[in-house]
Amino acid sequence: MTPVHFTFSSTFILGLTGLAFHRTHLLSALLCLEGMMLSLFVALSLWSLQFNVTNFSAAPMLLLAFSACEAGAGLALLVATARTHGTDHLQSLSLLQC
Amino acid sequence: MNPYILATLLFGLGLGTTITFASSHWLLAWMGLEINTLAILPLMARHHHPRAVEATTKYFLTQATAAATILFASTTNAWLTGQWDILQMAHPIPTNMVLLSLALKIGLAPMHSWLPEVLQGLDLTTGLILSTWQKLAPFALLLQIQPNTSILIFLGLTSTLVGGWGGLNQTQLRKILAYSSIAHLGWMLLILQFAPSLTLLALLMYIIMTSSLFLIFKLNQATNINTLATSWAKSPMLASIAPLLLLSLGGLPPLSGFMPKWLILQELTKQDLPLAATFAALTALLSLYFYLRLSYTMALTLSPNSPTGTTPWRLPHLQTTMPMTIFTALSLFMLPLTPATIVLLTF
Amino acid sequence: MLKLLIPTLMLIPTTWATPKKWLWPTTLAHSLIIALISLSWLKNMSETGWSYLNSYMATDSLSTPLLVLTCWLLPLMILASQNHTAHEPINRQRTYITLLISLQFFLILTFTATEILMFYIMFEATLIPTLIIITRWGNQTERLNAGTYFLFYTLAGSLPLLIALLLLQNSAGTLSLLTLQYATHPQLLTYADKLWWAGCLLAFMVKMPLYGVHLWLPKAHVEAPIAGSMVLAAVLLKLGGYGMMRMMPMLEPLTKELSYPFIILALWGVIMTGSICLRQADLKALIAYSSVSHMGLVVGGILVQTPWGFTGALILMIAHGLTSSALFCLANTNYERTHNRTMILARGLQMILPLMTTWWFIASLANLAFPPLPNLMGELIIITSLFNWSWWTLALTGAGTLITAAYSLHMFLTTQRSTVPTHIIALDPTHSREHLLMALHLLPLILLTLKPELIWGWTA
Repeated sequence: MTPVHFTFSSTFILGLTGLAFHRTHLLSALLCLEGMMLSLFVALSLWSLQFNVTNFSAAPMLLLAFSACEAGAGLALLVATARTHGTDHLQSLSLLQC
Repeated sequence: MNPYILATLLFGLGLGTTITFASSHWLLAWMGLEINTLAILPLMARHHHPRAVEATTKYFLTQATAAATILFASTTNAWLTGQWDILQMAHPIPTNMVLLSLALKIGLAPMHSWLPEVLQGLDLTTGLILSTWQKLAPFALLLQIQPNTSILIFLGLTSTLVGGWGGLNQTQLRKILAYSSIAHLGWMLLILQFAPSLTLLALLMYIIMTSSLFLIFKLNQATNINTLATSWAKSPMLASIAPLLLLSLGGLPPLSGFMPKWLILQELTKQDLPLAATFAALTALLSLYFYLRLSYTMALTLSPNSPTGTTPWRLPHLQTTMPMTIFTALSLFMLPLTPATIVLLTF
Repeated sequence: MLKLLIPTLMLIPTTWATPKKWLWPTTLAHSLIIALISLSWLKNMSETGWSYLNSYMATDSLSTPLLVLTCWLLPLMILASQNHTAHEPINRQRTYITLLISLQFFLILTFTATEILMFYIMFEATLIPTLIIITRWGNQTERLNAGTYFLFYTLAGSLPLLIALLLLQNSAGTLSLLTLQYATHPQLLTYADKLWWAGCLLAFMVKMPLYGVHLWLPKAHVEAPIAGSMVLAAVLLKLGGYGMMRMMPMLEPLTKELSYPFIILALWGVIMTGSICLRQADLKALIAYSSVSHMGLVVGGILVQTPWGFTGALILMIAHGLTSSALFCLANTNYERTHNRTMILARGLQMILPLMTTWWFIASLANLAFPPLPNLMGELIIITSLFNWSWWTLALTGAGTLITAAYSLHMFLTTQRSTVPTHIIALDPTHSREHLLMALHLLPLILLTLKPELIWGWTA
């Protein structure tokens, strides 16, 4: 396991752990998701640098574009949740439990 | 919803799954999954009420996490082996990681708890899309990575158990359907490493049966057991067919729901796993219990009703009934066609 | 084979196309014709034992009596259901008849299947029509509970059977009844093989039902409408005995040792369920428990695995099928008049329905195995073969016979003799339909006394 591999893996796993265990605000969950995506962005760009694969160099940009879309959708949902539930606390998303 | 936007979203749904089907590269497969998720989110939140928004949020969080983990696993695979090809997942750690995140994506126990809640917040049409079309892309990936671990058996058996157990005390139809989905997906995972064509067969049969059930519920506008009890007045013929459909979903011969269960059990005994087979077969009884309860309320008892409440069958239905008819016929009478179906899926 | 299957299937469109006025007579006549044609199966000319052989189905001297009983029962069920469905909408009557016909169709396929897996599928397929008959046409809300018990007891027993059959298919390479006894069998030595043995037989023991897993039966009988009770007592229980007899050759070296607890349980069940009958207030429950008691003898006879045991089991199954079905019909004639099943509330019916008392008398005597009825032949042969197996069984079987006689007479005396309670003076008189029904039950039973080799099974 190279240091680069270790770095992005630990960043991703940190983000995943945050998403799984830090369940206060929806915003912080979205931030964790964004952190995960950014670590993947780093991993993809470094992979194409490491192996000198030029035809893969568009991949990080594609990933970034999709993660931006995803973040946009997440923020839209944040707004929608704030309007319908009055708060962005994840604890308050409990209408469907029964 | 504006029909142009609706058309775009539906096109996006189709496009995402098709991209995942067609891709051999993990990044493209991931993009397909993301397009799929992004396209269904507006459909889910179409009715702007708290429950839909909450369901959408939950769905978004789980799907985004699962997709990100899939990409992370494939990146790890690329770093370890230099391969981005889906069919060449050589390293066990990324393979298992992909497997688990796909399990989260389709809602297998023990990563299932989002599925009943999300399905409960949706209307029946979107729920139908969620529990049929949205399963296809993850299953395409599952069939391609060809995992070969005992995790699959664990996931399968837990899912059949949880899917049966969780639905026992539900009164909400969509939650019951969600738990039935979990149980059926468990059967599919159980056989995945031994006979992938049987997984496909079970998925096909599940899609047929659950589609007809969703369409029947939609026709009756029923979302809980109480409204289901009065649905005999809306279409008596359908109400008398529905118990058979439910028992088919529970896997009782001679209805077609028995076919995937039979073949899966046969394959499991061939692989010297009679205990797993017995356990799976007995957990199917748990699911059968709530199907049976639904059929009791739907057709085998007559609910009290006011005299005017017994006449809605005179009104014409607005919904097209042709797809429902075809799906229902298929989900009742396919068992004699078992050899043809096997040949079709394993050529 | 098809000369019966196709008319049975075509009865369904007949049911739906017949005008309302002719619905019951037409279906009755047609099913009676089918029953009469089915008698031709009894003429077994083959030397190998199998006759009317085609690629999926065949009959032999074990399945023929049960097949004829199945076909004979459909007209009787149609005859018995006419009164209590009369006030229902016509479509529901048609659905009811359709269910009965589909049940007969599945039962014919069950008894004629040469492939055990086909037998299994059809065995399970009979569950759905029976379940719908019980839970849709039963009288009280407890019928739902009874339906659940019925379905889950049977399925919990038969799903392990499916696994066991698939294992057998893997080891023996075939599941065809025609060739399976010549296939090479693996040595059955380990504990897993013993579990496999239990898996093979448990489903049928639940269906029989063996004492201990019998709780679904009284519930189902009490709640089911008359046709449901009839077919349940007459044919569906016999599926268990038939399946056990079919499975026995495959289980060869294990049964000798492993059957001990089950024989004991069965014979203990004869005494226990007989004693329950002695203090039973509910007429239908009494007949149901008497079924459990008789089936205990059948289980014992099959498990000792002697030719006499099999013969006795088959004779008793056929005789009990006719007898208990007749008793349920009699109970139903009372129920349709008094609208309760409690024996103490419908006493002294001899004063009101004197001809019915004759039928009650014959049916009760048949139930207590009165000579020379086939019931006695069956019981006597089983008791002999059990006695040959171990002397001590005579204590249990003898006491069982005594108790059977006691509760049968108790049932007859309570319902027919003593004074009429004042609240049931104004009862409907009996219909000739009911007398025809009883005659069609009891005449075959009496006639079988003259030619018992028809139901002897393999010994003949």
